[in-house]
Amino acid sequence: MTATEEKRDEAAVQAAGEGVQPKREQPNPVQPPTVTMTLIQAVNEGMRGELRRDPRVLVFGEDVGARGGVFLATAGLQAEFGERRVFDTPLSEGAIVGAAVGMAARGLRPIAEIQFADYIGPGFDQLTSQAAKLRYRSGGQFTCPLVIRTPSGGGVKGGHHHSQSPEAYYCHTPGLKVVMPSTPYDALGLLRAAVRGEDPVMFFEPKRLYRAAKGEVPTSDYVIELGRAAVRQQGTDVSLIGYGGVMPDLQKAAEALAAEGVSAEVIDLRSLVPWDREAVMASAAKTGRVVLVSEAPRIGNFMGEVASSIQEEVFDSLLAPVLQVAGFDTPYPYVQDRIYLPGAGRILDAAVRALNY
Amino acid sequence: MLEAFPTQPFQVILEDGHLRPGATFDQTPAQLRELWESMTLVREFDRKLVTLLRQGRTTFYAQASGMEATQIGIARGLRPGHDWVWGYYRDQGVALGLGLSLTDVVAQMVGSNNDLNKGRQMPHHSGSPASRFVSGSSSIASQVPPAVGMAMAQSYLGLDEVTVCTFGDGATSEGDWHAGINMAAVKNAPCLFICENNQWAISTPVERQTRSESIHIKARAYGMPGYFVDGNDVLAVQQAVRELADSMRGGGGPALLECLTYRVGSHSNADADAEKNYRSREQVRGWTDRDPITRFERFLALQGQEIGSQERADFVAGVHRQIEEAVQQAESSGVPGWQTMLDDVYSDTPVHLRRTYEALRQEQTGQAMHVQEGG
Repeated sequence: MTATEEKRDEAAVQAAGEGVQPKREQPNPVQPPTVTMTLIQAVNEGMRGELRRDPRVLVFGEDVGARGGVFLATAGLQAEFGERRVFDTPLSEGAIVGAAVGMAARGLRPIAEIQFADYIGPGFDQLTSQAAKLRYRSGGQFTCPLVIRTPSGGGVKGGHHHSQSPEAYYCHTPGLKVVMPSTPYDALGLLRAAVRGEDPVMFFEPKRLYRAAKGEVPTSDYVIELGRAAVRQQGTDVSLIGYGGVMPDLQKAAEALAAEGVSAEVIDLRSLVPWDREAVMASAAKTGRVVLVSEAPRIGNFMGEVASSIQEEVFDSLLAPVLQVAGFDTPYPYVQDRIYLPGAGRILDAAVRALNY
Repeated sequence: MLEAFPTQPFQVILEDGHLRPGATFDQTPAQLRELWESMTLVREFDRKLVTLLRQGRTTFYAQASGMEATQIGIARGLRPGHDWVWGYYRDQGVALGLGLSLTDVVAQMVGSNNDLNKGRQMPHHSGSPASRFVSGSSSIASQVPPAVGMAMAQSYLGLDEVTVCTFGDGATSEGDWHAGINMAAVKNAPCLFICENNQWAISTPVERQTRSESIHIKARAYGMPGYFVDGNDVLAVQQAVRELADSMRGGGGPALLECLTYRVGSHSNADADAEKNYRSREQVRGWTDRDPITRFERFLALQGQEIGSQERADFVAGVHRQIEEAVQQAESSGVPGWQTMLDDVYSDTPVHLRRTYEALRQEQTGQAMHVQEGG
């Protein structure tokens, strides 16, 4: 038994102790059995499940084999599935991404890990010239369903090459789907959908939530469709919309607002391409006040597209300008890491501005 | 057995058409005749398409003249419909050799409704799964890592296919070329890398592309064999490709094959005055004197299969007729309209594209306030 499995079983026992029904004793279709896991355990579990389910699934990248990945996302997978299916590659993002394209074009389902999102650069041409365009350029004759998993975002004292949020580059490339979960439940369900889908998917994992985000995850084989947001909290006065590593800060801001008698709606986009216009517009129309939060630099931030769409579609419902809380237009700093990242205070400040407009 | 890292390129047919002493060949007279026909088809395809370009019926053309032996040799060294090729933009000879029809290649060049790629790419990017020739990207050397991945998949699936990855000499300077070749070596992927060294990358000669003494020598640093053939000798290329591909089917690792040839034409219609700008007429003449088709005709004559002048004229006229028919077929099939412009971005149609489609439909059916040209 691998360390990860041990932890998972401990978590299952713990969950059972907390009143969750273990499957074998009392199956309950309404409330399926769940286990508690962290976001990174969910990612690990997602890959393990897909490797078990489908022999076409391969997992590879730098140090993902015996080492289990620098964050241990792939821990135990090589031991269980062998070196043919879970393997280390040379230190070359271009070769990793490109190899995934070719494998997928020949019928496999590659899951490639890029050690840090900051290092995808050498694989950029493979993503934008090959992965994103193979289907379109060939008139649908060739396809490359693949998943590029990568830890992204700040908050781990990593300086600019271990903290960036480059998702907007890929959102800007038609042909790629882009997702970023912030909970274990979402990570597992979205990863399954990404692997089982027919398109190339960029799967960004907010690394500061790898172990900080912990939650209940059903043991069932559920899938979360790409393009569906999650309404974390219903509200009527202001919409706080974000994705990825900032989500706990949105929740904190909403709690602070609630203490002041303000009802905030909290939405996690989860998926950027495609993104859930319906959920966003419904919320914006309901509250009339929207704060969009992400930690990526402001210029060219994906939330700019969301803001633009909101004012185009529900302008008459708006009670205040759509506000954005984003990272700064600087390289990601090392020492001022926590100042740089949008926290609950900055989000709260924006919400109050919208409320007082 | 082909010798790795030779000092001289492997030849089967000498310049004067004689068989190199010690060389052998196993093609039947019909197969030899087919090689001549295929190379001549590629040559005439160039002539016809340049005319078409001048008539404004296509937008771009890059000649393969002078490289016919390399391209047909590659195609004939493989198992068509079985082995896979990730080629590059000047590979129309490889594409035709692998079984893409004249109609398919012409339709892609014209961008018509019968284009298998649905008019999505500029000329020189044809492909089809049936011929296992992948519709390419223009981005130089970007086909190298995917070719390696495909070979890794073939190895994982236990298939006896190989993947061939072709590129020009310029591609060997790109990062992805090195990244892919290294990965193939480390993973022992059955990938045959073939450099169609035509000695020019637009206006940059190969000696300003690399300080290596050759292209194939680079293989040594990656731990794979490098081979060197006369790319104007169709039998040499075919034999080398066949031998190397077959050696990979049983689990053999990757190899790099350099075919030394010459780009007789300009890079494309965009730099049609190559000899005025960046290279000498003497150099070009030196290589046209070593024309691959002329050499093969000498060889055929010595084998008792001389191509008579009337026979040649009839064949060429036939090819021109076929190309003209393919052009007419393409042009009469029409041009893809706005209706398919948003297809094939993804396997499904996400909401943002559905919305865009509706707006585009209104615009293109005259429901917008202003007319957008081009519909």
